[in-house]
Amino acid sequence: MKTLCYLSILLLSLTGCQKEYEAPVPHTFANRPGAGQFTPSVRKAIEGVYAVTTGSSQFGEQVAVKWTYVVNGPDTTHYLSVFTGTDVGYFNFEVVKADTMALAGYWRKLVNTETGRARLSIKTTRSGQVRPYRGQLAEGDTLMLDGAFSEKTAEPSQPLRLTYRRPLNTESFAILAHRSGGRTSDLLPTSENSLDMIKLASRLGATGIEIDVRYTKDGVPILYHDNTLNLRLIRKNGLKGPIEDYTYQQLTTLVRLINGEQIPTLEDALETVISNTNLTFVWLDTKYIGPMDKVQVLQQKFRQRAAQLGRKLQIVIGLPTQDAVDSYKALADKSNTPILCELDTAITRSLSAKIWAPRWTLGPQTNEVQAMKAEGRTVFVWTLDEPKFIDEFINQGQFNGILSNYSPTVAYYHYTKQL
Amino acid sequence: MTFRGRTSFWIILTLLLTDLVATAQTDSTASKRGPYTLVITAGGGLSYYASHLGVPPPLEQLRMSRFGMPATVRVMWHPDHRLRIGLETGWVPMYSYRGVTAGESARVNVEAIPILLVFSMPLAWLSGTERSLARRLSISGGTGAYLVQSRLRYAGTVAESQTSLGWMVAGAYTQPIGRRFRVAAEVEWFNVAATEDAAFTAQLKLVWRAFTW
Repeated sequence: MKTLCYLSILLLSLTGCQKEYEAPVPHTFANRPGAGQFTPSVRKAIEGVYAVTTGSSQFGEQVAVKWTYVVNGPDTTHYLSVFTGTDVGYFNFEVVKADTMALAGYWRKLVNTETGRARLSIKTTRSGQVRPYRGQLAEGDTLMLDGAFSEKTAEPSQPLRLTYRRPLNTESFAILAHRSGGRTSDLLPTSENSLDMIKLASRLGATGIEIDVRYTKDGVPILYHDNTLNLRLIRKNGLKGPIEDYTYQQLTTLVRLINGEQIPTLEDALETVISNTNLTFVWLDTKYIGPMDKVQVLQQKFRQRAAQLGRKLQIVIGLPTQDAVDSYKALADKSNTPILCELDTAITRSLSAKIWAPRWTLGPQTNEVQAMKAEGRTVFVWTLDEPKFIDEFINQGQFNGILSNYSPTVAYYHYTKQL
Repeated sequence: MTFRGRTSFWIILTLLLTDLVATAQTDSTASKRGPYTLVITAGGGLSYYASHLGVPPPLEQLRMSRFGMPATVRVMWHPDHRLRIGLETGWVPMYSYRGVTAGESARVNVEAIPILLVFSMPLAWLSGTERSLARRLSISGGTGAYLVQSRLRYAGTVAESQTSLGWMVAGAYTQPIGRRFRVAAEVEWFNVAATEDAAFTAQLKLVWRAFTW
């Protein structure tokens, strides 16, 4: 018994330490403005579905290659994203130098902590002969992205070669990223529901985002997902309890998200969407119980801003619960207030919501979806992370978009879909 | 339940079952059980916060304290075998910090109230004399809930609490001072899973053998 006791204490001390999972980005982005030699026509030519000629054991048989950008005032910085169909994988590249057609970046798989550096240069191949790409494709030339990748921070040395197959699928489809781009728990380089995550979202494949709106004690709409302050979302600071019990001043001074960011206001978040991104859809998920008027005011303000700028941007208020529906019904004026209803079709119709968004676990709901679309509604499904079902739902072509924590996977299946 | 909480639970369950089986085998021919004793232990001392301490970056003139004065109460059933079972609660300060930001002072205090199921066992049992050291040494382990409380004083006051699973381990030396009273010196480790808080305490306790039957 004594021995067992000592063994138990030893076991306790050995197993009491929890493993910390980390996936730091192994490439330091310079984020230089511009795209160098990657002119608009070159960028357009590069986008497409590529066969993974070398490196398929790690990244699958084919990938989707797409350019994205972030705007900072007068500057626009371009990035190349590569979406793989394996383990929610993606690459992010930036232009290395203005005078070369070379890219450097990193790859990551969101289902685990695998990551590494990568670099690519643009080449063409014809009859087995490989040449550097000069911005023009001659008859018979095929584009190739040729380079190397590594594990973690090692110098890229394992060969990676992508060979152009066909253009990306251009069907209209909303790739909506959960929690403003992705979850903190997936060890992304920025925290969920942060301004930096909003800027990152399109590089992860998103064309739109869902953000979680709550109110502070003094009535400021902010972005935060959970009911309480907790170590899953914020850095340790000793503070506990519902976020609604703290004022904006207290939160902005004392609370930092996991990667050090401040909790943003809804106003700052929408400003970021308009000023820094080309996102086309914002889903304001109603996490609060109470009056909706302050959110409505911001929704209308930024819809107007987007219209003035000629931006194609939808900002809709999501109604996930009956409480949220009641808050919406209590609004004095519901004009110019687009909503998205997550409840059943009858409630959606009764609210005249233009978007219906059932949860994906209810299945394809073919009849209901077709009926809602026939009535002129858009239908999204949430929150779908299973690659098998993402593939199935996209290929069935019923839904107008998918909300997912894994926007790289949705992007992969959407852009590689063959019509 | 977290991985750490599950581990603690299974280890303690294994200990309990092993001892119960051993007891059942030993006592299968015994005609009389007992004596049983209800023992109440209360005490206080010094605590040291032993986990990493999170302090918001904007605070200047920062003053942190990892030390506190805990107080705990434990009610244990001492049966006629070695493994004892009981409940423990109390008040365990975790940490506090204060600082100034934009000319305004901010202060945060964190403390925990454990509500734990505790198993305890002397290092020796029937062998040795009452004065033997091993009979006066005991180890304890427990698991249960912690009510972690925080109080913020900055631009108003916010007092909040959060419940978390957790565990504790302890070692004690008990010195008899009378027929029903003993004093004990105990070192104890309190670990709160969800909030990643941990405190090491050293306490002086009064042990009262309240009822015997």
